[in-house]
Amino acid sequence: MNEIIIKGLAVMGGLGLAFSVTLAYLSHRLKVESNPLVEKVLDILPGINCGACGFSSCRNFAEAIVAERKPFTCIPGGEDVNRKVSQLLGIQSQEVKRVKAVVHCGATKDEKKVSSFYVGPTSCAFVDITLGGLDCKYGCIGLGDCVSVCPAGAISIKRGKVVIDIKKCIGCGRCAKVCPRNLFELVPWQGESKIYFVACNNEEKVGYVKTVCERGCIGCGICVRIKDSPFYLQNNLSHINYQQISNEEILEEAKNKCPTKCIQELNA
Amino acid sequence: MKELVLIFISTVLINNFVLTYFLGICPFLGVSGRLSSAIGMGFSVIFVMTFASSIAWLIYHLILVKLNLVFLEYIVFILVIASLVQIVEMFVRKYSPSLYQALGIYLPLITTNCAILGCALFMVARNYNFLEAVVYGFSAGLGFTVVLLVMAGIREELNYCEVPKVFRGAPITLITAGLLALCFMGFSGLIRA
Repeated sequence: MNEIIIKGLAVMGGLGLAFSVTLAYLSHRLKVESNPLVEKVLDILPGINCGACGFSSCRNFAEAIVAERKPFTCIPGGEDVNRKVSQLLGIQSQEVKRVKAVVHCGATKDEKKVSSFYVGPTSCAFVDITLGGLDCKYGCIGLGDCVSVCPAGAISIKRGKVVIDIKKCIGCGRCAKVCPRNLFELVPWQGESKIYFVACNNEEKVGYVKTVCERGCIGCGICVRIKDSPFYLQNNLSHINYQQISNEEILEEAKNKCPTKCIQELNA
Repeated sequence: MKELVLIFISTVLINNFVLTYFLGICPFLGVSGRLSSAIGMGFSVIFVMTFASSIAWLIYHLILVKLNLVFLEYIVFILVIASLVQIVEMFVRKYSPSLYQALGIYLPLITTNCAILGCALFMVARNYNFLEAVVYGFSAGLGFTVVLLVMAGIREELNYCEVPKVFRGAPITLITAGLLALCFMGFSGLIRA
């Protein structure tokens, strides 16, 4: 009995020792030289692999910035992260423009008119090329291609309408790339509590807009005629020039005056 | 030679580890979402399984049987597999960084893949000789990879289907796996005893 216990202990101990020695030796022999700076930079970065910097992952970004010492910006990280990275590498810090995504379609399921029935893959890209589902050829299809690519989980669809949580939005712009109708715009944001935007993308005249949607911008120009208005009309559609915004009251006034209520706001 | 071919065919198709023994179900369901990652996982499993079953054979027959310590097989095999995965990971990392990136998290995950422990235990239970054990390990890994790739292909196509809402996600995956297992039962008459 005792003999078996001793033999068992000896065999297990021996095997364990043999394997650990091999592993220790190999880990020493097969050591991969990596720049410790890369790891340090990687610790500072948000690590969400959003791709807004143009690299496919945070690791690739860190390797590139350490190797080239050129200023790149990490948009979701904001000023804090970029300043730390620049200090660590001793390079000039770049000014970060913080942006948030807004979506230029604010109509709910009931407000968008649908006269054809779509059966097929549940993806906006498919619906867009088959011209099915929705009468408005500019508007949001609402199947959520953007929801699935958002790395921060900031996009949700409520009653057929895309809602962006600007607290969660990191401004990486993945949604803008994937939307087949180019409904997303990245707008500058300096910590305001509200972001105003025109919730329509329809460039047709009033007659057409009214036949496809109750919420569409009809290009009436009421918002443009307010004093010091940052709004302008282009192709029968109202736009906001975000560089010209002087105060929020004008935007609030425009929002209240809009006859189709398609100037909307996102609350932080 | 005939024995080896028989072991190969019966392990890959007839007694497939995933669909007949239901071993290694977690990576089978977890990594079959995309074809590219399924390929990486499959090749790591082939590699580790072949080596694990051959080294496990050596240790079992040269040490454990001689010293009458067969009851230690479970714990010894787990030790062998875990160390082997570590060694493989180091080699791949050193000599093929691109393969290392492609395999990613799947390489360390194999440590806890029950199909590999199962392979070592079956190999011992069936009294294979060394060559048979190597072939058995390789074909078990190949069988796992084949099924994983088939499943990944089906699941990629499933993305473009209108699945009823209650079946989306895990339910349709399990149903697919069940249907696939039924299909593989068709191979059971392949070899006449």
